Amino acid sequence: MLEINKLSKTYDGGKRSLTDVSLTAKEGEVTAIIGPSGAGKTTLLRSINQLIVDDSGEILFDGQDIRKLNHRQLKKTRSKIGMIFQNYNLIESLTTIENVLHGSLARKSTLAGVLSLYSKDEKQEALQLIDEVGLADFAFKYCSDLSGGQKQRVGIARSLMQHPKMMLCDEPIASLDPRSTTMVMEILRRLADEKHMMILINLHQVDIAKEYADHIIGLNNGRIVFDGATATATDRDIENIYVSDAPVAVG
Amino acid sequence: MEIRQSKQPNFFLKKRVRLSIMIGLLGVLYVGAAVILNFNSAAFLYLDRGMIWLFQNFIPTSQSITYWYSITQALLRTFVVAVAATSVAGVLALVLAILGAKSTGPSRTLSWVIRGFASIMRNIPIVGWAMLLLFSFKQNDFTGFLALLFLSVGFLTRAFMETIEDVDVEKIQALQVTGASYLQVISQAVLPEITTPLISWLLYMIENNIRDATLVGLLTGTGIGFVFDLYFKSLRYGPAGLVVLAIIILVIAVELVSNYVERRIAA
Repeated sequence: MLEINKLSKTYDGGKRSLTDVSLTAKEGEVTAIIGPSGAGKTTLLRSINQLIVDDSGEILFDGQDIRKLNHRQLKKTRSKIGMIFQNYNLIESLTTIENVLHGSLARKSTLAGVLSLYSKDEKQEALQLIDEVGLADFAFKYCSDLSGGQKQRVGIARSLMQHPKMMLCDEPIASLDPRSTTMVMEILRRLADEKHMMILINLHQVDIAKEYADHIIGLNNGRIVFDGATATATDRDIENIYVSDAPVAVG
Repeated sequence: MEIRQSKQPNFFLKKRVRLSIMIGLLGVLYVGAAVILNFNSAAFLYLDRGMIWLFQNFIPTSQSITYWYSITQALLRTFVVAVAATSVAGVLALVLAILGAKSTGPSRTLSWVIRGFASIMRNIPIVGWAMLLLFSFKQNDFTGFLALLFLSVGFLTRAFMETIEDVDVEKIQALQVTGASYLQVISQAVLPEITTPLISWLLYMIENNIRDATLVGLLTGTGIGFVFDLYFKSLRYGPAGLVVLAIIILVIAVELVSNYVERRIAA
């Protein structure tokens, strides 16, 4: 369970990005965060693993406030949170399996990680995960040679290697074609259903959110303007998320 | 539609005037310098004679070949000094660059210190380093090695730092948020991403250092530079010409090898 209370963030230069954002997300559910460009979706998602340091509020995960953890504790908590990105952020000069094995670094000693000394079991698990995301034939290919959709699936496998309880997905399908989009979204849906994982996903596409999410959170100009189950959200509700009197341009 | 030019009526004229002034200034500088140096511009007319003299005297003769062994020995020493200096500099520069780069360094202050250090090391010319080090280390190979090392550390630190900063910060963050430690992130994300440019810079530095090493040898009295000096000053022009030829062959060979290596790693 993730519970965020009154989270606020103002960037240097006075741009207010989040104002009193509160939400909860549950295991086994896909929570979609939608809203116009500049609404604060990325800031919100990145505050959760403290990639962006917010100003005030509370982020309760696993019974602890992530904001109050020291360096060591934060590292441990981060290892339980997987993250995938719009630009995949793989190390493209390495192969698929090497990238996936990066997900196990937090469990290893520094030296073993530095020297890439992975155990037989870890390599086996990585291959298994690569197979699960449908890339068995690409395990030993360099990531620079993969397509966007394939790279995103490597990103998912890398996160799964962490054994995460929660997945943060920052616009994971914004650069993908429709076929890859479906593939990635189905994998994420399956992780919630079968592995009982908590999936938080920033989206631009309302139709995708409606199709795959259990729960929709609408963000506009740094404030929550909608929070409810997908089944109960009407077209009007969704429309309202985008037309609130925000001074931010809709992109 | 009529295009109005009236706003900038003399635009092209002004541009031409500016260019003429620039060319005029260059001319004045040349004449000024020539007068100060007592440099007779007519010397250009005798360029051909100079060249002919050069070729007549410096073309190695059959006798010069007897010097070949000692020349290659000296050249080998110079080559080894250059490679050794570059290798050591490469390791030092990599550590400094990781500590100094904005994306991987621990603090902004340290970054400033390293940047300043690299800048000083790099901006003292190789001849300056060699003369400076001669005071403490006298005429031997080690002096040349140090001179090359200092300059190379400065140059490579700067080059590596920029290479590291070219790596997308998000890629580094993506590994940090898996809970990986600092050294793990460096070795698993930063190093693989910079390997290719790193090798290119090292090869470039080796090429450069071989050329510089011959010059440094003149001052430190070691290696191929010293051998050239010796033959030249004892009027043995044939062997001196052979030295030059040997250096040219080595430099071209090294360049060919490094081009080949770069092509292979880029593929």
